[in-house]
Amino acid sequence: MNMSEMIQVKNLSKTFQTREGTVEALRNIDLTVEAGDIYGIIGMSGAGKSTLVRCLNYLERPTAGTVIVQGRELGTLSDKELRKMRSSIGMIFQNFNLLMQRNVMDNVTFPLEIQGTGKEQARQKARTLLETVGLSEKAAAYPAQLSGGQRQRVAIARALACDPKILLCDEATSALDPQTTQQILQLLKKINQETGITIVIITHQMSVVREICRNVAIVENGQIVEQGLVEEIFTHPKSRAARQLVIEGKDPDQWEEPAQKGAGELPILEENRKIRIVFSSNDSKEPVVANMVLKFGTPVNILKADTKDLNGTARGEMILGLNGSRELEDEMIQYLIDRGLAVEEVQSHVE
Amino acid sequence: MWSKEVIDMIIRGIGETLYMSVFGTFFGYVLGLPWGTVLAVTDQDGIRPNRIVYRVLDVITNIMRSIPFLILLILIIPFTRLLVGKSYGSTATIVPLVVSAAPFIGRMVESSLKEVDKGVIEAAQSMGASTMQIILRVMLTEARVSLVMGAAICFGTILGYSAMAGTVGGGGLGDIAIRYGYHRWQADIMIVTVVLLVILVQIFQFAGMKIAAKLDKRK
Repeated sequence: MNMSEMIQVKNLSKTFQTREGTVEALRNIDLTVEAGDIYGIIGMSGAGKSTLVRCLNYLERPTAGTVIVQGRELGTLSDKELRKMRSSIGMIFQNFNLLMQRNVMDNVTFPLEIQGTGKEQARQKARTLLETVGLSEKAAAYPAQLSGGQRQRVAIARALACDPKILLCDEATSALDPQTTQQILQLLKKINQETGITIVIITHQMSVVREICRNVAIVENGQIVEQGLVEEIFTHPKSRAARQLVIEGKDPDQWEEPAQKGAGELPILEENRKIRIVFSSNDSKEPVVANMVLKFGTPVNILKADTKDLNGTARGEMILGLNGSRELEDEMIQYLIDRGLAVEEVQSHVE
Repeated sequence: MWSKEVIDMIIRGIGETLYMSVFGTFFGYVLGLPWGTVLAVTDQDGIRPNRIVYRVLDVITNIMRSIPFLILLILIIPFTRLLVGKSYGSTATIVPLVVSAAPFIGRMVESSLKEVDKGVIEAAQSMGASTMQIILRVMLTEARVSLVMGAAICFGTILGYSAMAGTVGGGGLGDIAIRYGYHRWQADIMIVTVVLLVILVQIFQFAGMKIAAKLDKRK
């Protein structure tokens, strides 16, 4: 067993019995999270990702398959062992789930209390953690007196109280505004870098994945349709879901919406094929697209051009409409590939 | 008519009423708090669902709550005698008060505990808290405001029942109201006792609400 594998999920399935019948929430999930990684799980609401993250600490018991955390198979643990294991897996939630009748300090010491840590030692630990999340001066405040972002910081401090090896984040930024989301993500990133904690992030926002995740799994209808390095999936999206995410910039909840062909749309050239090219900031010395147009003497239609920040490096992205002969188009694509660009043929682009 | 005897009698009546209500509520909670907790915990979406335990307790609760208090009072006389040695007087009245109040209190506690945010309970589970820890440190503490308000309501109800027990020699203000107001047509004494009952309920209700507001950290 490779010790760098913090979480291993093998062939996991989960079904629920409801009045309407059996609902298959997860099907044959396989995934591996390496120690120290920030791993994103993205999918639309109802795709099963919240169930999946709850299987990682057995808040939900899988119907089939295994979950191995730090080399131990959760399904084989007794109740007591499982509770012990859970104390090494922190978790934060969309709605923060703080104890509303306890103040900030007592919220952070709560998991330590459960583990039977001495009061003074627990408070000492909590003070350090509150400093980490920048809320030292709020120790005596009650959650109701805090903003959403502050509540999530308290929840993060609480989740870290028992020095967990893993932090599970269930839509932790979904209830927050974009600016606060940024701050929380930066905080998670900082904690990951400083402590080497493994973070699993459940989200329906591509921006969250782009911002801090190194690896990502895309979940659709209870299955993982694509997984790998965020950079790799951003450059070469293979599945339909990944293409919608990456190329059309649609967050999963927008996937099923039909494209709006409204009035007032600019007329566009009839293209035969559309290609998407991706380049990093350092290969942009040569004006590749302009040179290509000059070389082949055929215009291309720029349908979309964008720069995205991917884990701190700028990535340029462009969607071109080609409208020459088939052979000419092949030659143009080859030309771009020869210049080291990632080229992908796409079916649609942002309407 | 406001002779020393009457005033002494009324003061003694207040004492007996408080004695029955306070101990009735106290022992009612000794039984009702765990009762309601088990109901909340074993229900379908509780933290330890157990269909059989829940159904049994649920049915018993409903049956006991359907028996009118006066009937119950008479019905359990043998049990009361076994417990306190006699079937009349204030101490003896506490027994049927408790038996009648416990299922009611159980229901109040159950509904208070079910108001606790499921997410908070899940958070505690994710930290490795045991069922007992969740009950004691999450459910009961997070629901404390609702529990205290419920206790104020229960106290008022039990005080009302204790007055009813007066009809069968239970003592207290209810006893005085019936003996003087009903049997002797002394409306003035009856009115005084009723007013005193109202004031007592008001005081405890008010105190309950004050304590609840003070405990509530959600605002």
